[in-house]
Parts: sequence; structure tokens; C-alpha cells
Amino acid sequence: MPTPLKPGAMDDDRYDRSKRVPWLDIESISMARVLMVGAGAIGNEVAKDLVLSGFRKITIVDMDHVVGSNLNRCLFFTEDHVNRRAYKSETIAEGLTRLSHEAEPLAVTRRIEDTDRSVFNDHEIVLGCLDNIAARLHVNSHSYAAGKAYIDGGMDGLVGKVMVSFPPSGACLQCGMNKSHAKVAALRFSCTGKDVVFHEPRLAAEITTTSVISAVMVREALKIVSGKTDLLLSNAFYYDGQRNVSEEIEVPLDPGCPVHSRRD
Amino acid sequence: MRKPFNLAFCPVLAVVFLVLRIKVKNAETGAAVEMELENENTIDEVIESAATFWSKDMGAYVLRKGKKVLRGGSSLSDAGIRAEDVLELIPDPEGG
Ligand SMILES: [Zn+2]
Repeated sequence: MPTPLKPGAMDDDRYDRSKRVPWLDIESISMARVLMVGAGAIGNEVAKDLVLSGFRKITIVDMDHVVGSNLNRCLFFTEDHVNRRAYKSETIAEGLTRLSHEAEPLAVTRRIEDTDRSVFNDHEIVLGCLDNIAARLHVNSHSYAAGKAYIDGGMDGLVGKVMVSFPPSGACLQCGMNKSHAKVAALRFSCTGKDVVFHEPRLAAEITTTSVISAVMVREALKIVSGKTDLLLSNAFYYDGQRNVSEEIEVPLDPGCPVHSRRD
Repeated sequence: MRKPFNLAFCPVLAVVFLVLRIKVKNAETGAAVEMELENENTIDEVIESAATFWSKDMGAYVLRKGKKVLRGGSSLSDAGIRAEDVLELIPDPEGG
């Protein structure tokens, strides 16, 4: 039996205004399982947007601790988290439950490379909120092999990029990479002959670019879950925050890309 | 006008092989440089030369022609690059 109409009821419904967007499928959004890899600045914003959009089941994978320099752009991190070296994934998960009692976040305090690959099969969408190319390549290939949509976001200062890989069609993240990416990835783990040195560049980062890139990522996730895949970014979305302009640039599928041959 | 940045290093070879003159723009600054290349040069080589020329920080870059990202391993001829083409070097941001 339909619920009887009560005056003012629409103002009690958390998702009333979302439901006024015709194609948003709130029911499917609430059921979808989302894997969020990386809990830095983009991770904070993506997590917030996911929960406010109605996503509930969110797995957050990250092994880092909160540090002071995160505080210029991370909604859920405070000085208290810095002082007690809180895990980023756990801190975001706690923050999400404060944001909505319906949220069911799960924090995994491990590197994605050390996490069982079945995690990719257990989720419908993978959101890459990462800060290095090696981890991106790992998540890209495992998402593709599991047949899951991978939405990757990256930024440097006022520049940002979002790419959606939607297997089995179209290019993946690796299709758009070249030797300069390989060089950066190799530098990250440089071998001194004695030891492997972990090189972590300090890139420019601030909240406004983070917000734009994260919002575009979550918008793409909403399209997938709501069955609006015809509206998906089929290519890379580039954002130049200096001029506040954006454009979509085609990334052709690379027939030599190992990710596709692995799946075939 | 600035002297073109020359990847076809040897002037004798430049006569034997077809030399292609293109322009590469720096998306971050708006600057542009002319390059002399051979059809067999790769997109990876153009990216590395342009990034070095502009003393770019170690980082990932892609080269685009119009609305399309060019594949790193492709030769200029395979990528359909012609004389007078204008390509743009854009950063591929890594941070999160
Ligand atoms: Zn690929």
C-alpha cells in the first residue's frame, strides 16, 4: 500500500532534493558497493560526496596516517588525528558515520597491493583516489580484470584529471600512459644497489581543485549506478583551475596495452 | 624567431630523411617551441625533448593533437603527424 501523503513530509526526507533529479536512482545508489582506494585529499572529498549522494557501502583502503600537511584540504582530518597518528582510512570511515547514520563504511588499513584481489570482485565500482602511478596501474589492471568500472582522479596544484575505464569497452588508464609515466613510477622506487628508496614527491595541493575533481568522480559513479552509462565520460576529463576551464580529450585504446590482452 | 629545436641531429641525414617541422605548445605556460623531427621519431621522444627544453619537473606528461592524446610509442607517421601540426604538452597529474 502506498505511504499516505503527509503535509511537510518532503522536508523530512533526506533524499527528497536528490530524488528531484530525474535520472538519479536513489535505491540503486543505496545498495551499490563502492571500493575507494586512497584516503588522502581526493579520498576525503569523494567519501563525503558519496555519502551525501546516498551511497552507504563504502570500503576505504589506505595504510597511511594523518599528518599536519593534510589539514589544508581534508575535511575529516583534525589536529587530534595528527597527534595520535590516526589511520586515514579509519578516520574517514568515522567521519562518514557522523555524516549519515545510514553509512556503512569499512576501513582497510593496508596497501591495495597487499589486499586480496577478491576485493575488486566484491564491489561494483572502484574509485582511485591515489597519489602514485604504480598503485594506479595496479588498481586499473585489477579493476579491468574483474570487469569493474574504474574512476581515477589525479591532481597537481590547480590542474586535475579524471578518467573512467568501463570494461570491456574503450581505453583503460594504462592506454593513456607513456615513457614519462614509467620514469616517474620507477623513480618512486629507486634502487640504490643496497636498498630500495621510496621517493615521495611533495606536490602542490589545495582544496578547490580537490573538490572539483572529486565531484566529477562521484558524478561518474552516480551515472554508472543509475544506469546512465551513455552519459559517462568516455575519455579523460582535464581541468585547468587557473583559468577554470575543462575539456574532454580522447584517449584511444592501445592495442598493445597489456591490460586488455590479459582480459581477452 | 627562435631556432627550431632539432631532433634530426645530423644535417646530412636531415636531407636524406624527410624532416618534419612541427610546433609544440606548453599547456602550463602558453609558450611554444618549433621542433624538427623525422617521421620515425616517436611521441615519447617529442615529450622527453619538450619537457627537457622547458626544464620541466620530473613528472608525467602527455602530448595531444587536437582532442586526442597521442600514444607514446607511436612514430610520428603512425600518429598521423604532419608538417606544421601544433601539438600540446600537458601534465598528467599524479597527486591525490
Ligand atoms: Zn589499456
